[in-house]
Amino acid sequence: MQKIDLVDRDLFNPGHAACPGCQESLALRAILNTIGPDAAAVFPPSCGAVICGPHPYSSLQIPVFQTSLESAAAAASGLRRALNQRGKHDTTVVCFAGDGGTYDIGFQALSSAVERNENILYVCFDNEGYMNTGAQKSSSTPLHASTASTPGGKPSKKKDIIGILAAHGIPYVATAATGHMNDLIAKVEKSLTIEGTRFLAVLVPCLDGWGLPDDSGVSVSRLAVDSGMWPLYEVEQGHRYTLNHDNKTRPVADYLSLQKRYRHLDETQLAEVQAAVDQDWAQLRRRAAESTEARASG
Amino acid sequence: MTAATSPLWSNGSTAVIHTGTWRSATPTHNDLPSPCHQACPVGGQIARWIGQLRDGDVLGAWLTLVEHNPFPSVAGRICHHPCETACNREALDEAISICRLERAIGDRAIAEGWRYPEPTINRSQRIAVIGGGPAGLSVAYQLRRRGYGVTIFESQPALGGLLRYGIPPYRLADDVLDGEIARLLDLGIEARTGETIDADAFARLRAGYDAVYVATGAAKSKRLPSIDPARPWVIDSAAYLAETNAGGQPRTGHRVIVIGGGSAAMDVARTARRHGRDVTVLALEKETQMPAQREEVVEALEEGVQLVDGAMLQSVTEHDNGSLTLHCIRVDFVPGSMRGEFTIEPVAGSEFELSGDAVVPSIGQQADPAPFGGGDGPLLGVDDAFRTGLDNVWAGGDVASMERFVTAAIGMGKDAAEAIDRAMNPGTAAIVDAGDAVPYAAINTYYHPPLARTEAAVRPVAERVMGFDEVQLALDAEAALAEAGRCFSCGTCIYCDNCYLFCPDMAVSRLPDGYAIRTEYCKGCGLCVRECPTGAIQMRAGK
Ligand SMILES: Cc1cc2nc3c(=O)[nH]c(=O)nc-3n(C[C@H](O)[C@H](O)[C@H](O)COP(=O)(O)OP(=O)(O)OC[C@H]3O[C@@H](n4cnc5c(N)ncnc54)[C@H](O)[C@@H]3O)c2cc1C
Ligand SMILES: Cc1ncc(C[n+]2csc(CCOP(=O)(O)OP(=O)(O)O)c2C)c(N)n1
Ligand code: SF4
Ligand code: SF4
Ligand code: SF4
Ligand SMILES: [Mg+2]
Repeated sequence: MQKIDLVDRDLFNPGHAACPGCQESLALRAILNTIGPDAAAVFPPSCGAVICGPHPYSSLQIPVFQTSLESAAAAASGLRRALNQRGKHDTTVVCFAGDGGTYDIGFQALSSAVERNENILYVCFDNEGYMNTGAQKSSSTPLHASTASTPGGKPSKKKDIIGILAAHGIPYVATAATGHMNDLIAKVEKSLTIEGTRFLAVLVPCLDGWGLPDDSGVSVSRLAVDSGMWPLYEVEQGHRYTLNHDNKTRPVADYLSLQKRYRHLDETQLAEVQAAVDQDWAQLRRRAAESTEARASG
Repeated sequence: MTAATSPLWSNGSTAVIHTGTWRSATPTHNDLPSPCHQACPVGGQIARWIGQLRDGDVLGAWLTLVEHNPFPSVAGRICHHPCETACNREALDEAISICRLERAIGDRAIAEGWRYPEPTINRSQRIAVIGGGPAGLSVAYQLRRRGYGVTIFESQPALGGLLRYGIPPYRLADDVLDGEIARLLDLGIEARTGETIDADAFARLRAGYDAVYVATGAAKSKRLPSIDPARPWVIDSAAYLAETNAGGQPRTGHRVIVIGGGSAAMDVARTARRHGRDVTVLALEKETQMPAQREEVVEALEEGVQLVDGAMLQSVTEHDNGSLTLHCIRVDFVPGSMRGEFTIEPVAGSEFELSGDAVVPSIGQQADPAPFGGGDGPLLGVDDAFRTGLDNVWAGGDVASMERFVTAAIGMGKDAAEAIDRAMNPGTAAIVDAGDAVPYAAINTYYHPPLARTEAAVRPVAERVMGFDEVQLALDAEAALAEAGRCFSCGTCIYCDNCYLFCPDMAVSRLPDGYAIRTEYCKGCGLCVRECPTGAIQMRAGK
């Protein structure tokens, strides 16, 4: 059995306010301890901002700046420049934003930061909805998932944020999941060796919002990967695709059937989700294969 | 954080907030018994020694094994391995090849010449053991390790009991048996071979020793009512095997009919095949009901033994030329609730005949408990602690039980040694049963991807019938390591850190020798329990 390759340096404190079994706090623990103490974080409003701790307490052992929902990437850009002014080029500036604050409300700030290639690490904790305000839909909510604002299921597909960022030519963009800890840790480590904007989307199953038992976050995130709903891959320089888990072994039903947000799904809708996943998976594999060929031919 | 509170900066730590109050159930690290351990007649901490083997600590694995069983190389060859039947991994793909792993470790110990640690104390009490089979050797070993002076009285010229005089060398090679017995005697056990203990000698032993353990086995062959044992063509199976195991070749005539469906019948039949005889086994049971281990039956058939199953001998006609006609009938065999109990129903009109030159009834062995206060019963009666009705007399193995397995005899010896130790030195702590075994459901199989069982090689049939070389071959070191890697380590912490690192609340702390729950922070989500690959941490209701 492979051990988790993490040295916990106590950079994330206990006593934080995340729900029992929260995958966002689990991911935060791994990422903070991989980056190390020489870092500063930016949080827009989100579950993460709550987990940071109620004033006057903090759950992070690094400095945190809480900004507005629109402006995570802009605030991080400013922080980066301020630190550079003080000669702290090596201090990592990391954004921890939700999917609402990334795909939707903070998107223009993110797009322009990537366009400027700001030297920041942007982590999106993707729980597929506006969760801390009561589980409303975001543009990251997948097809047919029910939310407080789409009780009958969301009629549109999840936005392809990775494709959008790749189209910016971003140096490094990748997906990760808490059930694949070593992959997540390796991606954080890799991102630390790269200059410019780096973006990591981490799937964090929301136990309450998705309707899951408290102990299931890790295993459900693995089902997301195994079903192809959340493929693990990375894109370098906007075009070099690598699939990190080239193994779609399960039907999406295995993943969806565990979650209350899909309880209303009928056969047709299930088939639609499966078809969409199959199509995206085929495209991803094609891109990964093309990248391998391109690399081989130099 | 001690800095003064700032209106602008949050410089305190959330560690002052005790989220443990949210909890309604609490994880607890607690090693639990594995089902294989529960099923093992010697209670052999299987998950632990397989883990040591997997970690490359073969010596450590052997030391764990011999805590319970001084015969890992013997058991690794001929144990009926109920551990494998109970193995949790069977529910995923195939049971762990526990028995062959045990052999691999035992054989390594013989090859390396590993010795037992000297007893750390010496006690003044002396114990007499009557019978040097697996039960007697096991009790002697366990008592000597606990510091007692031990003398074994054995009527045969060499120790081993049925391991030597019953089980043939193609299943258990002599050097293996000799190696494990010699090492055991090196602990300082006195062996007096060639001494048969009768009722008078028994009385002298009781007077001269602090305790006596009776392990005389069950040596008398059971009689078959349909034939007269005095006829020259009737061969006693125990005597036959004792002679062949010692290298002899009894005169039997060419066509040998073996009667019985157990290990002894298979051993007689396969031995006779090795002497070039034409062999037929006549069994009451249908092939799949036969009490012999399945692989023994399969191997016997491969070696050319003919099986007539579900049939019974009714009478024998002797012809002038010395040949025999066996009058048989088909029967329906219905096993009873106890091992060895059954009912049979002859099938009317199904009579048939077999021809042969010799008949070897191998239908089981009877104990002779009379000299040891046993009266006329078939067994020497013992209580839960293997104490007989006589003061300071204990008993175990075939003389006291119908189990009739080698490891059962070894386990009885071990348990009796613990009981004798407690009786001789009342301070000795009692062994407590650790509770229920870890169920398959407690194992997170994500960490154990499907992987085929590593099978050991078997000697080709043509070579087998040419002599008495071992049929079942060993796993090599690499194969043993791969097989050990398949074990779930049910209920035994492997220090993988999953519980520690998957906790979103930093509520599991890592200690030098394990883990602890920081109950002031644990919210009771159960993630640590769910992501444990071994079931060594459990959720308990309450705070
Ligand atoms: C042919 C055969 C094959 C078998 N195969 C298997 C197998 O594959 N796997 C398995 O698990 N089990 C097998 N068994 C059963 C197993 O061998 C026995 O259950 C086991 O040996 C019992 O151990 P024991 O120590 O009680 O008795 P034994 O092994 O019978 O040892 C008793 C010893 O006591 C000695 N003794 C007896 N009376 C006296 C006396 N008055 N004074 C001094 N010494 C005395 C005997 O000489 C003998 O050495 C087999 C049995 C037979 C007959
Ligand atoms: C402009 C703006 N609109 C709405 C809000 C209210 N608000 C605070 S957090 C939040 C949800 C954010 O969702 P997401 O970024 O996905 O984070 P999550 O809560 O799911 O972790 C909303 C809508 C806000 N703070 N600012
Ligand atoms: S998997 Fe290992 S510990 Fe569990 S029952 Fe099987 S052999 Fe025993
Ligand atoms: S994962 Fe942490 S919080 Fe959850 S039950 Fe285990 S120790 Fe408690
Ligand atoms: S998760 Fe690993 S370290 Fe924790 S109890 Fe289970 S086996 Fe031991
Ligand atoms: Mg969200």
